[in-house]
Amino acid sequence: MSMSPTFLAFHTASRALAASQANIDVTGNNIANVNTKGYTRQRVDQNSISSGGYTQKYGLPMASPGWGVEVSGISQSRDPFLDARFRDQASEKGKLDTILSGLSDLESIFDEASTDGLLNELSNFINDLQTLSQTPSAGDIAFITRTAAQKVTQIMNVYSNQVTQVRNQQIFDLSRVVIENEFNTKVKGIADLNDQIRKEQTYGNTPNELLDKRNLLIDELSELAKIKVTSLPEKITEDLTIERLTVSLYDTATGASISLVDRGLYNTLYVTDNGDRVNVGIASSFGSAASGDITAHFSGGSIRGYLDLINGKGINEFRGALYYRDSMDIFASNFARVLNDLNTVDPLNPKPLFTASGGGAITAENIRISDEWLADATCITTSTYGSDGGDNILRMIAAIDTDTSFYKDAADPSSTVMFKGSFHDYLSGLIGEVALDAELYQNYTDTSANVLNGLYAARESISGVSLNEEGISLMAYQKSYNAAMRYFTVLDEAVDALINRMGIAGR
Amino acid sequence: MRITNRMMTTQYTRSLNELSVELNRLNTQVASGRKFAKSSENTSAAIKAFQIRKDMLKTEGYQANVAHAKASLTDAEAALSHIEELMRTASERILFALNGTQSGEERKVVTTELRNIRDQLFQTLNSSTSGSYHFGGTNTTTRPFEIVGGKLQYNGFSLDLPLPADTPAANEALFADLEKDSMILDIGLNTKFDSVTGKVDESTVFGYSIAGINIVGRGTVTIGGEEFSNNLYDLLGALASELESGSYSYDKADALFGHFKTATGSIGKSITVIGAKTSYLEFMAERMADRVFNMQERQVSVEGIDPAAAIIQFESQKFAYTAALQMGSKIIQPSIFDFMS
Repeated sequence: MSMSPTFLAFHTASRALAASQANIDVTGNNIANVNTKGYTRQRVDQNSISSGGYTQKYGLPMASPGWGVEVSGISQSRDPFLDARFRDQASEKGKLDTILSGLSDLESIFDEASTDGLLNELSNFINDLQTLSQTPSAGDIAFITRTAAQKVTQIMNVYSNQVTQVRNQQIFDLSRVVIENEFNTKVKGIADLNDQIRKEQTYGNTPNELLDKRNLLIDELSELAKIKVTSLPEKITEDLTIERLTVSLYDTATGASISLVDRGLYNTLYVTDNGDRVNVGIASSFGSAASGDITAHFSGGSIRGYLDLINGKGINEFRGALYYRDSMDIFASNFARVLNDLNTVDPLNPKPLFTASGGGAITAENIRISDEWLADATCITTSTYGSDGGDNILRMIAAIDTDTSFYKDAADPSSTVMFKGSFHDYLSGLIGEVALDAELYQNYTDTSANVLNGLYAARESISGVSLNEEGISLMAYQKSYNAAMRYFTVLDEAVDALINRMGIAGR
Repeated sequence: MRITNRMMTTQYTRSLNELSVELNRLNTQVASGRKFAKSSENTSAAIKAFQIRKDMLKTEGYQANVAHAKASLTDAEAALSHIEELMRTASERILFALNGTQSGEERKVVTTELRNIRDQLFQTLNSSTSGSYHFGGTNTTTRPFEIVGGKLQYNGFSLDLPLPADTPAANEALFADLEKDSMILDIGLNTKFDSVTGKVDESTVFGYSIAGINIVGRGTVTIGGEEFSNNLYDLLGALASELESGSYSYDKADALFGHFKTATGSIGKSITVIGAKTSYLEFMAERMADRVFNMQERQVSVEGIDPAAAIIQFESQKFAYTAALQMGSKIIQPSIFDFMS
């Protein structure tokens, strides 16, 4: 029978001490980071080690105790599946939040729940026409009526300008803030961290803090765009395989991916403003996708939200700023058409009440009182027969109040009829649309926030630090540390007895 | 499930925020008295509210029109009563003059009186309020009645025969047009227009002025082979001339007086028409007031809050908020560390 070496147990005791020490240190680190954003709970990976070695063919059965414990590493408690779900939902919520805030801006332009706007001014204009019909030949009343008409045109101008302002602000936010500042910085940050992590891992280190930083950046990136994160094994040596992390833009509709980050490489985005269409392009330095326009590729994240708000024309797509601008143009041009036609008695000698400032087609932005009406308030045709009974004013009132065809191109009665109804119906319909969209997106956002909160809790439940747990660990490891020390003392006394007292009986 | 410290603090912050949002909403409700500050908070109610506001403003316009029509009719009625009074005085004076016992001198006095009355009639027919003539039909800008060649003209037309005599049908049509000619207003009867002529369908609007031609009468009469204009002004003139004439004929004067009496009948008719119109307007005004009242009630139910309920809700929300805050100081519960030796 063979014997184990006398001092082998000292190594076992020392490893026990080291293991407890490591556990106490990791517990301390967890406690210290209890409130650190993005911190993942760490734990000591330890396993028992056995004497092992080769066995003799005809060896006798031998009891061989284990050699104690081995600390093999310090790892993070994290669930990649939950990460993926969390990020999917974060990009959904990023999109919804952006759209909701854009819709609120648009709603506040048109809404008349708490303030008076075009609906109210239109009613005032009708009532001023009623007053004019009481004394159709009174110049002072005609003057008041013109002022009311002027207010109607001015509010249309304001609406149109405000819609343009909202859209320009969104373009600025998308290009300068979201893409240039946030998105491009984050992909570069992830690529840099990939490099550092790779170096550390190649040296056999576990860069947990860097992993936390990278995960946090990926979380933040997923709020901006729908992304896919993949982790591939990369073989460094026979014994060492590390992970190679790639991030790509993911289009859920087509399943296509465009590389954003691979190891230390990254691609950045840029925005081009082509008037009615704003595009997002990619400057490819690697990967399969050629540089160029990838606007249609965003299926989530705030970038998609901005693109919907900026480019959405409303027909078979999102009702964004352009939809409301175009809708107001249709309103303004048809309003002018109806009243100009009624004011003109002799078609060969048109007497328009409204024109476009600077000429051309009438839009909400350029509609104003015609020069003729500005020069003479009584340019408004009050009567078409009798002396001056005001029949034409009644015709105008009725025309504003009854159903009208809203042509896409007011100058062309063969163009598509976009809406049939009164001017009031058209406007309250428009306010209803933006309000209903805002209401809908508020609900979507609430739901998405709830789901995200649930996922946050699930993730936190795995990766978060619980002080109770750490306190219990601290006590447990303190005890095991003490026990290891006691083990040392026992060994020490045994060796002392062996060396100093064994075989000296009777001296 | 493991409950971690960050889970608890995050959840607490979130709940506190949710409570604050709701508290703010209720606070805005109580302060503004409105159910919603933005349409998107309750889109269907907002659209309903816009409709009600539009109807209310529309009714305001109709009410203003009704008030205007009523005021005009009142003015016209006053002028007509004055004319009626004048004509009654004229009749009395003519009867007095026709009495066989009167001398030529006495008839002459009556003649002066009649001419005086005739001038007052002319002035009253041309009376106006704030620049609009009462009896000009749709002509409100120029004096409807003028004396041309000693004869009364209405809106530039001879009252005897406005057009050449060989066009009787055209003459009748013109007379009919002049009699119908009236200022019109939209009082919410759903204005319609003739699809052929484009003219206003008079049954869908409110005509509120009396054309002067209806008051004075028109056409001519022949007495003893002599043609006279058959209108109040010219008949008074003819009577005055006859009464002062050296060849005064009782029969002729009496015949003229007969026509004059017949002509004055139209004044009473016009006053009756005005009365009917005024009572219709009163009926409409009442209906509109009812409508406005109903719409105000509907508006309150659609847009307004029940103050008591809102304040109770606000208070209970405040209570929840305060309770959450109190809990906040305890959200970081003691952990195992507080019990370690």
